[in-house]
Amino acid sequence: MAPVTLRNIKKSYGNAHVIHGVDLDIAEGEFVVLVGPSGCGKSTLLRMIAGLEPITSGELEIGDRVVNDLEPKDRDIAMVFQNYALYPHMTVEKNMGFSLEHRGASKAEIAERVNWAADILGLKPLLQRRPGQLSGGQRQRVAMGRAIVRNPQVFLFDEPLSNLDAKLRVVMRGEIKGLHQRLKTTTVYVTHDQVEAMTMADKIVVMNAGKVEQIGAPLELFDRPANLFVAGFIGSPAMNLIPGKVRAGAFVDQAGNSVSLADGPKAEDGKPVILGIRPEHFEIAESGGFAADVTLVEPMGSDTQVTFSVGGNELIALFHHRIAARPGDRLVLRPVAGQVHLFDPQTTLRID
Amino acid sequence: MKTEFSPRAKVAIYGLLCVLAIPFVFPTWWMVTSSVKPIDQIFAFPPDLIPRSYDFSTYAQVFKLQPFAQQYWNSAYIAAIVTIGTMIVSSMAGYAFARIKFPGANLIFMVVLLGLLIPSEVTIVPLFQMFLKWGMINTHWPLILVPIFGAPSVFATFVMRQFFISLPGELEEAARVDGLGRFKIFWTIALPLARPALAAVAIFTFLHSWNLYLEPIVFLTSPERFTLPQALTQYVDVYQGPMWNIQLAAATLTAIPVLIVFIFAQRQFIEGLAHTGLKG
Repeated sequence: MAPVTLRNIKKSYGNAHVIHGVDLDIAEGEFVVLVGPSGCGKSTLLRMIAGLEPITSGELEIGDRVVNDLEPKDRDIAMVFQNYALYPHMTVEKNMGFSLEHRGASKAEIAERVNWAADILGLKPLLQRRPGQLSGGQRQRVAMGRAIVRNPQVFLFDEPLSNLDAKLRVVMRGEIKGLHQRLKTTTVYVTHDQVEAMTMADKIVVMNAGKVEQIGAPLELFDRPANLFVAGFIGSPAMNLIPGKVRAGAFVDQAGNSVSLADGPKAEDGKPVILGIRPEHFEIAESGGFAADVTLVEPMGSDTQVTFSVGGNELIALFHHRIAARPGDRLVLRPVAGQVHLFDPQTTLRID
Repeated sequence: MKTEFSPRAKVAIYGLLCVLAIPFVFPTWWMVTSSVKPIDQIFAFPPDLIPRSYDFSTYAQVFKLQPFAQQYWNSAYIAAIVTIGTMIVSSMAGYAFARIKFPGANLIFMVVLLGLLIPSEVTIVPLFQMFLKWGMINTHWPLILVPIFGAPSVFATFVMRQFFISLPGELEEAARVDGLGRFKIFWTIALPLARPALAAVAIFTFLHSWNLYLEPIVFLTSPERFTLPQALTQYVDVYQGPMWNIQLAAATLTAIPVLIVFIFAQRQFIEGLAHTGLKG
């Protein structure tokens, strides 16, 4: 395993600039997730780390080597692709041993490494099958096996779970995380699914339109989003964002509802702000919050998700208990003390 | 959805298919049966579907009147070399046009494709002059070089290119990460996966070379260098009239490899063309 360092990495296709200067330090053995919406540049960044896309400018180091001009094979990385990219005409065993074979490993060494990887991933009974005879989850495991047999310095994962059904995705998520905990290899993982990012990462890099919006530990991003984009992207359901102004130490929305900011962020009186409240940080109160009309109730067993209309804004609240509300009811919604966020509508940055 | 037919409908459908097959099967049947008929029976009316008497001496005559075994060998080895050569050229060219980005790739490919639009009759005279200058007239070189670097290979290149375009790019990227260079990716990943398309190329190239007629009659002059389609025209009597039964016996022998190839490889042939999006 090795650290990975990105210094002002940029990527352009002609006049189209797709990555605008990314700086990132990935420590040895760290599990870093690049997350963002489609087209944000996360896969391009991963492919640049892999050596599959040339770097327009900036410096990329793996270990203590600058690898900008090295071929993928010389970077000592292994990659798991979105569509697995298993060689259809080879058996699982051959797929897994293929890279070792081309690096001049002896037959005994190849067999030993393949068996070791197959043992870890439960692939022993499948070694003589071809990819076409495997299920999606099995193919995913083989792709991971192919990556680990070589014992590379860095693992790269490009949305590896996006072709699996929801249930299998949860299982494979656990397996990848377990594999990382066992091997402790530096890992860069790309996904558009923020739940995957939150559950797997040591460190999350949130990207948008070719720029890094925030880098931090999952809970740090959740608790202290640096700007409106991260606030809206991290967390499911997404954070409620309500425009209004600060008046006498309280937030007042356009409908005149007032929320105390006594335990929260501070902003000067009269300043336009956007108040952020996570759906799970609402409570039902008698007074001192938003007068909210229930528009939709979605019971989910353990939780109840309720959609409200507040002065033309739609708010979502998530309660960890059952609620007897019905569409048309009017309730008072109050944020849990100390659990509100303020953002500047002009700069979109967080106000503390 | 699979449609289930009643037994009666099945009989009707198979009956209709049998009737439709007659125009395709009859010429072969007539060729084989007429090759063992005495010459006066061949044109008897009404025609005999099954010969009244059998005369197998026609097959011996085929080998007596011409160096037929030598001509058979000529056709076989020329077709084999042309097939292998075309497979090599078309798979590499098709791969390059499909997977390697280089300036003007599409333009060059269009220029190559234009080769298909020029009928071979148009180029035969300049080709004759060229091979005459090179001292290759009455050798097999023109029959080998023209298909490998001419229209048949262009068509094969097109077929291979269409196949390679459909290969997922991730496979090549995985191979790059696994440590393979461009040629090894072609050789160990792309080419084995292109087997159906390659089989189709092999079959139609072999058939094309085996049936080649215009080029042999232009480039070859001595019977021991003739190929089979050309040799078939030489079974004539002193008045230049065809010796029908002997000619049909030679034609039957000529058709055997083609039938064998097609019977065993028709599935791959059709699958290969289906892969490339072409219709037969």
